[in-house]
Amino acid sequence: MTEGGNPIPPPYVLDLSILTEVACGDAGVTGLLLILDGRGQPLVLPVLAVLQASLDARTADADRALRGIGRLEHAEFAPLRDAVQAAGLASVISRTGLDQADGHVAYVADVSVSRILTMDAAKWREHAEKLDKPLHFVEYAEPDDDTNAGPELSS
Amino acid sequence: MSGRKERLEVEVDPRLHAYAEHLVEVGQAASVSDVINDALAERERQDREALDYVRETAARADQGKMARVLAHIDRQAAALPAT
Repeated sequence: MTEGGNPIPPPYVLDLSILTEVACGDAGVTGLLLILDGRGQPLVLPVLAVLQASLDARTADADRALRGIGRLEHAEFAPLRDAVQAAGLASVISRTGLDQADGHVAYVADVSVSRILTMDAAKWREHAEKLDKPLHFVEYAEPDDDTNAGPELSS
Repeated sequence: MSGRKERLEVEVDPRLHAYAEHLVEVGQAASVSDVINDALAERERQDREALDYVRETAARADQGKMARVLAHIDRQAAALPAT
């Protein structure tokens, strides 16, 4: 249960588009993640997506921001721990055609039955049905920005 | 830093253990325990600094836009199948 007495919701796995905005210091995305954390929403940061966001930004502030989000009370990093996980990730990448960063996002979401938080619903719409179970995702967007208004249902 | 210490049994890489002992031998640390304590304190400081940084970033957010985005996310999440 959350501190408010509500059931703990399924985690949000942060994809590369979200982590890139964090690394760039986007106040809106960062603020939203802090609000979600304050509500007891579990947040998961796949390390290969964190790695790519850090590589793309290459600033001390970007690394500080990524580290800070990972240190929120309800956030955790998802590592790539062993050969079994590496093989699972390879399978996901092979089946979806995603790069390693978002491949890790898809792998973590798939094995942990979590939802992907993204700024790019179109990308996940394209890949959502390529695994045995559909990937579910929600998009960071203002309603007026969303040309495909309505829930981001992948099935 | 708290003056009271707690006993902690840890395993460290032999290379780092040797480095900690070297720091003691050359007088740059009072004890191996001090080296470990300082390293943990430094990590805590960096974590706190990172958290402060994201809080400062978030403070610049447009509250109205954030509320609209959050409501939109909640609507999407509510429409997804239960896990």
